[in-house]
Amino acid sequence: MMHPAVRFTDVSKQYLLGVTRTSLPDAVTQWARRLTRHSTRRASRSFHWALKEVTFDLPFGESLALIGPNGAGKSTLLKLLAKVTEPTAGRIEVHGRVSALIELGAGFHPDLTGRENVYLNGAILGVPRRQIERRFDSIVAFAELDGFIDTPLKRYSSGMAVRLGFAVASCMDPEILLVDEVLAVGDASFQRKCIDRIRELQRQGTTLIFVSHNTSLVKAVCNTAILLSDGSVAASGTVPVVIDRYNEMLEARGSALLEGARAGATHNAGVEIVQVDVLTSSGEPADGRVSSNSAVAIRVSYKAYSRIGRAEGLVRVYRSDGTSCCVMRMVDDGAPLCIEEGRGAFSVTLDPVQLAGGTYHAVAWILDDTGVNGLARGSSDWFRVAGMVQGRDADDSVFEPVRRWTSCQLSAAGPRP
Amino acid sequence: MRWKVVGQVRTLVRSRDLVFVWTGRTIKARYQQSALGWLWAVVHPAATAALFTVVFTRFVPVNTGSTPYLAFSFAAVVPWTFLAVSLADMSASLVANMGLITKVYFPREVLPIAAMFSRLMDFGLAFVVLGVLLVLYDLPPSLPALLYLPVVVGIQMSLILGIGIACAAANVFYRDTEPLLRLVVQLWFYASPVIYSMTAVPTSIRGAYFMNPMAGIVESYRDILLKGVAPGPYLWLSAGAGVVSLCAGYLVFKRLESRFADVV
Repeated sequence: MMHPAVRFTDVSKQYLLGVTRTSLPDAVTQWARRLTRHSTRRASRSFHWALKEVTFDLPFGESLALIGPNGAGKSTLLKLLAKVTEPTAGRIEVHGRVSALIELGAGFHPDLTGRENVYLNGAILGVPRRQIERRFDSIVAFAELDGFIDTPLKRYSSGMAVRLGFAVASCMDPEILLVDEVLAVGDASFQRKCIDRIRELQRQGTTLIFVSHNTSLVKAVCNTAILLSDGSVAASGTVPVVIDRYNEMLEARGSALLEGARAGATHNAGVEIVQVDVLTSSGEPADGRVSSNSAVAIRVSYKAYSRIGRAEGLVRVYRSDGTSCCVMRMVDDGAPLCIEEGRGAFSVTLDPVQLAGGTYHAVAWILDDTGVNGLARGSSDWFRVAGMVQGRDADDSVFEPVRRWTSCQLSAAGPRP
Repeated sequence: MRWKVVGQVRTLVRSRDLVFVWTGRTIKARYQQSALGWLWAVVHPAATAALFTVVFTRFVPVNTGSTPYLAFSFAAVVPWTFLAVSLADMSASLVANMGLITKVYFPREVLPIAAMFSRLMDFGLAFVVLGVLLVLYDLPPSLPALLYLPVVVGIQMSLILGIGIACAAANVFYRDTEPLLRLVVQLWFYASPVIYSMTAVPTSIRGAYFMNPMAGIVESYRDILLKGVAPGPYLWLSAGAGVVSLCAGYLVFKRLESRFADVV
């Protein structure tokens, strides 16, 4: 069984917090203090575990996405892979040449020309000088900097500098490529170029580790993913599954904050939404029981403390990554809502639901009769919609329309050339 | 542990392109926007030697035998400036590039090594001016003696490399290494025969005096350039110190290297 490209075994990384000794007099006085007191009590030094017993295998040729909130330890993990720092505990095995697109333009000096900076940056990244010479023209062409390459770097725009940095870094032949959020900088056409180059490297069998907050980019580029949270692996597996877990985590964090804020507001308005249920046509919870051509009912139950009279109901469906899928207002569809004191409910039936495979939830609002002021808000639990084809969800799309195909021949083809 | 060093040196040799390129970058960046530019490499030792000449011939006369004081001091000030400025640059080199160190992997010793090599160019320029001065004073050195010059330069370089690399590493953790080193170099200056002749040192302590490796090196420069003879036996002591410095300095650096990125 061939060994994997990267193997992390119980890797932990600790950082010391607080003021580190930075002057010799301080160090001397600390020693003296420790000696005279004869105490084994350490000076109050707290530490932070940036990574806790992270374990994973990455086979050759695979593309792994590393996602998680800020501060989860993604950059630390990349630094360990790039050999910039060493683990406090655990073992890291890396087989192959690692190239890191972590800092584009590393070593770039503003007073040097673009050409000089290419050689400098390439040398820092470990590209042999002859290889840089051979690829120089294609680097300049990729960065679209013909004519500018002999101007000092300080005259470049930030976009030009980033393009140059990426062009140099991608002209290497890495066996393992690490990509950090660098792709966030740059316009859409540059990002497309970067993705194309990464895909080309993937075709050549390069192993990839990709860190990004952009979930659609991650879905486009990687096949497996790891979710890091507070230094530990919270989830791992295929990209869609891990992304859903990530979004659930974010939503849970977000709504925990919102709940407190909202509770007071809705009570004052005189009505509150008690529950939002997403159900199948037989009244069971929809999660795991529906597919794109099933019928789904979204039922909003509310409790009013006084008679409100004419009101509006609004239901939005969101996908797990925050994309708004549809907005439905009762007033647009000619369905009136009248709220009397006590309990009540309204619901909307989607037949068929026509949502693509994925994880969604519904958010309901009760607005006053002007349709402007919100009186109450509630959201449902997450529900999974199974796609039309088993196992094929790794897509960006939201809508799965009811459809019918036709095809016909319009005219005979001409004689073959 | 010993075998690990072999691999580390091999990695360093593989990165020689980077040393070369980084040296060029340091030099260009230093002189790009300055008025004097590379001329500064000559002005620094020349002005120092000129001042010493005025002070130590008029105010506090120093016996330098038959050699004119300007030539006497310039021949020592040029290599001393190389040492002092290189050590200062080297000790600051890692801290000045912390951004790079925390992002990309490359053998970190490249930075202080390139710092020294960038000052080697200055040294060469000042040496040319020294040569001109010696010719003007009708003291052209003899060819057999000149063959020893690369040896002396080599010993001085290994001494500087060892100390500079070790101080560069120490400075990452203790930022006052840099000013401390500056102080030590200043005191070291007076302990070396730069402004005075070795003959001023009492014979009873001369043995101990030459434990200072720079004493042997400075006197060797004078032997070659001013007297036209081969360097004295004190050069052996300096050579030994140079080798020890290089090995110890490199080992210390490599032990500390893994923690650089953790101390920002």
